[in-house]
Amino acid sequence: MAASVCRVGSTVGRALAKTRSPILLSLRRGQASVSYAQSLVGAPETRLTALDNGLRVASEETGHATCTVGLWIGSGSRYENEKNNGAGFFLEHMAFKGTKKHPQTALEQQVESMGAHLSAYTSREHTAYYMKTMSKDLPKAVELLSEVVQNCSLNEADIEQQRAVVLRELEEVEGNLQEVCLDLLHATAFQGTPMGHSVFGPSGNARTLTRQDLVDYINIHYKAPRMVLAAAGGVNHDELVNLAKTHLGGVSFEYEGDAVPILSPCRFTGSEIRVRDDGLPLAHIAIAVEGASATSPDIVPLMVANAVIGSYDLTYGGGKVGKTLRLARLAVDENLCHSFQAFHSSYSDTGLLGIYFVTDKLHIDDMMHWSQNAWMNLCTTVTESDVARGKNALKASLVGQLNGTTPVCDDIGRHILTYGRRIPLSEWDARIDAVTPRMVRDVCSKYIYDKCPAVAAIGPIEQLPDYNRMRSAMYWLRF
Amino acid sequence: MMSIAARNGVLSSYLQATKHAVKNLGFGAKDVAATAGPAGIRLAHTDVRIPDFSDYRRTDVIDPNKSSQDSSEGRRVFSYLVTGATTVVGVYAAKTVVTQFVSSMSASADVLALSKIEIKLSDIPEGKNMTFKWRGKPLFVRHRTEKEISAEADVNIAELRDPQHDKDRVINPSWVIVLGVCTHLGCVPIANAGDFGGYYCPCHGSHYDASGRIRKGPAPLNLEVPYYEFPDDETVVVG
Repeated sequence: MAASVCRVGSTVGRALAKTRSPILLSLRRGQASVSYAQSLVGAPETRLTALDNGLRVASEETGHATCTVGLWIGSGSRYENEKNNGAGFFLEHMAFKGTKKHPQTALEQQVESMGAHLSAYTSREHTAYYMKTMSKDLPKAVELLSEVVQNCSLNEADIEQQRAVVLRELEEVEGNLQEVCLDLLHATAFQGTPMGHSVFGPSGNARTLTRQDLVDYINIHYKAPRMVLAAAGGVNHDELVNLAKTHLGGVSFEYEGDAVPILSPCRFTGSEIRVRDDGLPLAHIAIAVEGASATSPDIVPLMVANAVIGSYDLTYGGGKVGKTLRLARLAVDENLCHSFQAFHSSYSDTGLLGIYFVTDKLHIDDMMHWSQNAWMNLCTTVTESDVARGKNALKASLVGQLNGTTPVCDDIGRHILTYGRRIPLSEWDARIDAVTPRMVRDVCSKYIYDKCPAVAAIGPIEQLPDYNRMRSAMYWLRF
Repeated sequence: MMSIAARNGVLSSYLQATKHAVKNLGFGAKDVAATAGPAGIRLAHTDVRIPDFSDYRRTDVIDPNKSSQDSSEGRRVFSYLVTGATTVVGVYAAKTVVTQFVSSMSASADVLALSKIEIKLSDIPEGKNMTFKWRGKPLFVRHRTEKEISAEADVNIAELRDPQHDKDRVINPSWVIVLGVCTHLGCVPIANAGDFGGYYCPCHGSHYDASGRIRKGPAPLNLEVPYYEFPDDETVVVG
């Protein structure tokens, strides 16, 4: 659920989750192609304005005929507690069930008649409601979105009905073992803290959340300073700001009793969770250490480090491609795994830096050994050529990610919420260029070397080494 | 329609977020939270509760609202120090145990006890020679008179078969302590016999003087002087 890409990571994690071939951003119509350097410099600027109530409006105008516009809210499962864990997710379900002005059928009809796509996702720290539509329909889109967010009808009958749907979805997601594994990884790594909460929430909560819970959730978290109206495509910033003033100018910015929900740091615990099920054909295993927060300067070297490890899937080019990546080469030669990827999920004050792999039951020990070996290599002996390759791969994937108005809009929304501004590609490029092998070694040693990892494993995992052995593989006996 | 759009490949990753299961309207509020997987029922992963391990946590990491990074180095250093110290102690203990087992093969206490003999000197009057069993051999302890002492000291060493001055054979000149084994063929000499006021071996006629030196007869060497010491004036410990 909630686009696994968003859960697995921020922009950067997502960038590394999928390997994309470099796509040149052809921003100027009529020109055959644009060089990489030109495209960085020529990228349209993201304009940012803040309304009086603190709501921020940001947009990137690219002159397309279509656009994506949406509301990104700085709220997620991290802000929930044991009792209302899953409220955000439930609310997302309720969002499209009708508003006070437009009951469900009317809402659906409005959206469809525009030929638009309305969707939403919830992650641990962000919630988003967005619409893909024609550029000329921007006013209608903003109106509908603001309705959905502010005036959700939250009909009792609908709530009861949606319970079954939520439970059904929970059941379905159990089949997506990647989701389950990474959720369990968060649950164990951040045990006892709100970061450990899954977005879905426990099934018990799905059955017992009341209308009041949802209303409270909205009242506490849907506040203007935590919301961003982002848009990308053929949009005009000034027009957007006016629309925001009209429809979203009334969003409250005061908290009841001045109780601003402040996020406290979340403790990371080196730990493991094993869900052994010999009936499953493949084992899904994730091992992670505490990583850098999204605002930390270490994030770029860590992204490069992850690109050095890279990712691999059995389906890549017949399985013989990817031999340049060290771990991938081993995976291919020794038939170690079906897929692996290095990921970095970064949140506002913490992160998870790890490797996720899928393998059959007889290669778990070897795959774990070589994965940790890859980490040790990063901390000690990573070479100039490895880092150069990683940097190029990273730049390519960052560029390639932004291949449409929706990814761009998502990028804008999340950046504003996390950093307070949109970080342009040229800045990412400069920061990536500044990374040296020594920097990669130092940063990796700081986060990986001799740290207690968190491990989550699902499937036929008898061969997974004991935790103490995995802990011992986090350092080498050397000086 | 929203649900149709969800199936669209390119957009599915963004639209999976909200699958409006329109077809499930007739679903009914069935409580479904368990998945019948290949090996039976598996609970929803969100229902898995990580237990609270606070009882086992170190004080630095009990508070879930405090980052564990700050204390991480301190905790590791402590663990490694304890491990290192235990290793050192363990190695030392192992060494001790091994040494004890190996040294159990050396001479036992009763044998060691026999190796020394403590003699009370006040039991032996002047001029008398007493014999003790020591290490399986006879030990002569002779309380010499002044006459004997000066006589032995005046002997010309050049005349002796095995030249040794008397003062080299005794610590306290009043006491001569020698092994009572004839250096010829091992018989036991008789005390206060022979031509030189010392010992006489009856087997082949070796004469020893009051210092235990060979004077006449077939024996080649003087009577052997063992190691002995006087812990005080009343006792001598031989061996």
